[in-house]
Amino acid sequence: MKNIGGKLSVLAFSSIVLIPLFLALDRLVWVAGFDPVQWFSAIEANHLSQGSVGFTFLQAILSTIATIVIGLPIAWQLGRYKWRGSGLMRAILTMPFVIPSIIAAMGFLAFVGPHGMGFRADQDTHLWTLIIAHAWFNMALVIRFTEPVLSTLDRDLEDQLRLLPAGKTLWGKLRNLWIPLLTPSIAAAACMTFIFSFTSFALVRWITPLESTLETVLADVGERAGISGYEVYANDLVLASSLIQFTVMLASLWLMSWLQERRQSLLPQASENSNLKANPRGLLILVPGLFFALAPLVTVAWSSLRIPVREQGELTYHWGVEGWVEAWSGGYSNTGVGDALLNSLGYAGITLIVALPLGWSLAKTIHELELSKSRWSRFLDVFTMLPFAFSAVMIGLGVLLGILKLDGELNSLWLLPVLPHIMLTTPFVVRIMLPAFRGLDPSYDEGARILGLSQSERFWKIRLPLLRGPLLVAITFTLAMSLGEFGASWVVARSGEWDTLPVLIDSLRSRTGWDPLIQPTAAAAATTLMLITLLLFMTVERFRPKGEGGMF
Amino acid sequence: MKTNSLIFALLLMMPAISGCLTETISKEFAGDQVMVPDMELVIVTYDVSGLTDSMLSEFENQTGIEVTLIKLGDAGSILDYLLQHDGAQTADLALGLDNTYLQTAIEAGVLVEHLAQIENLSDSALEPYDGPLAVPFDQGWICLNYDTDKVDGENLTIPTSLWELTQEEWRGKVAVPSPATSSPGRAFMTITTDYFSNDDDNSTEWTDWWSAMADNDLIITSGWSEAYETHYTGGYGEWTDGYIGDAYLTVSYCHSPGVEAYFGGNWTHSAALDLDGASFHQVEYAAAIDGGNLIAASAFIEYLTSEPVNVNMPIENYMYPSLEGMDLPETDGFRYHSIIPTNSANVSMNTIAAEMDSWILDWNAAVL
Repeated sequence: MKNIGGKLSVLAFSSIVLIPLFLALDRLVWVAGFDPVQWFSAIEANHLSQGSVGFTFLQAILSTIATIVIGLPIAWQLGRYKWRGSGLMRAILTMPFVIPSIIAAMGFLAFVGPHGMGFRADQDTHLWTLIIAHAWFNMALVIRFTEPVLSTLDRDLEDQLRLLPAGKTLWGKLRNLWIPLLTPSIAAAACMTFIFSFTSFALVRWITPLESTLETVLADVGERAGISGYEVYANDLVLASSLIQFTVMLASLWLMSWLQERRQSLLPQASENSNLKANPRGLLILVPGLFFALAPLVTVAWSSLRIPVREQGELTYHWGVEGWVEAWSGGYSNTGVGDALLNSLGYAGITLIVALPLGWSLAKTIHELELSKSRWSRFLDVFTMLPFAFSAVMIGLGVLLGILKLDGELNSLWLLPVLPHIMLTTPFVVRIMLPAFRGLDPSYDEGARILGLSQSERFWKIRLPLLRGPLLVAITFTLAMSLGEFGASWVVARSGEWDTLPVLIDSLRSRTGWDPLIQPTAAAAATTLMLITLLLFMTVERFRPKGEGGMF
Repeated sequence: MKTNSLIFALLLMMPAISGCLTETISKEFAGDQVMVPDMELVIVTYDVSGLTDSMLSEFENQTGIEVTLIKLGDAGSILDYLLQHDGAQTADLALGLDNTYLQTAIEAGVLVEHLAQIENLSDSALEPYDGPLAVPFDQGWICLNYDTDKVDGENLTIPTSLWELTQEEWRGKVAVPSPATSSPGRAFMTITTDYFSNDDDNSTEWTDWWSAMADNDLIITSGWSEAYETHYTGGYGEWTDGYIGDAYLTVSYCHSPGVEAYFGGNWTHSAALDLDGASFHQVEYAAAIDGGNLIAASAFIEYLTSEPVNVNMPIENYMYPSLEGMDLPETDGFRYHSIIPTNSANVSMNTIAAEMDSWILDWNAAVL
């Protein structure tokens, strides 16, 4: 690691991520005492968290399986056949990943609830609703990971295999071509899906209210942790939950990093000149897929305009914009949607200013280490994903407790919520930029150097134009993730004046619903956020590099 | 700085002279004689519905004090916040601590005597606490609510004691919020400690009832809204998207059926259960925070307990006012469907503060 910028970026990232988490851990241990046996036994000994470890694993494993089962046929159709409007289809099918999970929760509840399909009353359906919601949320990962492999596969490979005895049967083709080809991509997508399902917060909080995951336990007791002599069990639960999460996540990330490297080495074998054919029967998969991706979102928008009226035990509806008026005027909250949106955009802008150069520099450093065959490359690669290993709630808690330990006054800084946003979005920038650096032909840079261009000239004239696509993807992704960030903002002390849009939506959604106008108001706020996210995501599709093997 | 200090000292003395802090501040500001730059009030509260935009704007216009809210989950979150920030408080006023949390805050030394001049607080609002560290701004009674369509005397009989809820016919049909994570849940657990220590049966403890309830598939939720909105069949939850609807009886306020009727066109199928000793008088307080802006906090306390503002508590915050002679409105059956229980649990704030930690541990052991 020769460059100063690289060292500085690693130092900055380490400070942002490690200092708050270390301080939080220190404070928790100070209150709870260093007794790991006590921490871990507290989980099953407390009604609040009993069964949460088992449920967390169960739902994460089932969600991962469901995501692959749903996502893979869609990826196959998109990758193997020619479709008119494939860009738009791809955008719609992968968009759920950047939709704030709180909106997804509202959409799914409206869809399965008493005024939708009406099977919410049966508690057995809750787990399956959660799993389907997780599959909805994460199917973008399966599509993004596997579709480029499928779409860039040289058809000659298939033709050659067909002529061989081992490729005569379907099983033979699967065993000798598709399984070895797709396994690393599917496994990498599975790892990421497992990670996001394991630490999912809003969906679990709303869809399975009777079950706890480690993440909801953290959210339930987190705010009372770190206080000396007060409800000490909360500290035990936070320590145990976060340490289990950390261990499982770290193992998954390591596996994911290893798989992605294998995947990268497999990709060059494929040709980009694949000959895509039309396949009308594929619509049987793509149309339900598109419906699945859009249904929860349309339901939310629809609920914002359907105004319930309760009269003498009868519920009737009329169409109207009362919910929108209340949402924008702040009639049921202390911040209107307009102000909250400005706050969210402000935070997203500041997050971008920090996370983008930081992520760029980290990705570049990892790539340089890879080129020099340094063993530190894998370490730094996994290290930049560390915020994934700590859930959003734990990161929020880390910032809260960490800052409190440093100086309580800092807690009132309006900038504070930006810190977890930076922690959570920087790894995404790295994940997007790293494959782009890997794919950059070094001969361009070399040629420019020989022609006498300075380092900054080479940056502006060569590297930046070549990386324009992934850079725009990274910008949009950072903005979308920051706009939708909920878990960490929910934990970091919220000042009504600086409410972000997701926090405002949750605050509206959590209000007692005596007044029937509350639900349309919450749905109107959610629709606003959804539309902004959609707009960002549709924009990015135009700039996505074709056949890009990156995570997103 | 010198001017500010002088103004601060003047303002400190004024309540004693003129009697009303809000009025004093508003007069000074209205006359443009005194400008206190950047007078700000940070209120830490849960999502108190009563703090509407228009109500806060009116206060800001009257006093020139700019209000910022820090909104947390519930009353317990306010105490957590105050304790976590002990010694480095960032807020000036705590709004929403109730009488199950107030004593802990007082003992932790995070509150300070306010300067507000308030008259006409009702005796009932002052019953749990009548001191200088906190002012009641609303009140209510927590009790069991039941669905009159289901608990109709035929399919299920209206319970006459808490023990009846442990019988087979109530299996899986009662939802309560957890005392570990919910204020109403905490109040209800407090009720049971008192109820079973005063019943005729000396062979069983309150924890035995909780164990029997757990064996009878009691639904324990993390908060009030999950119990009332998601599980309870008698309330507005049936109109909401997350509704499960498997509990015919839950913990809420004795006036919750009144609120249901008010928003349902004078119609409800929920009723409060006036069971002897099975209710809890809950009072919510406004309290100035040690180290905060005492003037601004006191001005807001006066404003909140002024008649024109406090009278709106039932409509804005779904709670009883704290002033003498005020009641719930008669509109759309609000008052008609609300009850004030005849005999509430009698547990002092001191006992609650001293025992709560061990009660929660005992409760946890009983329901596991």
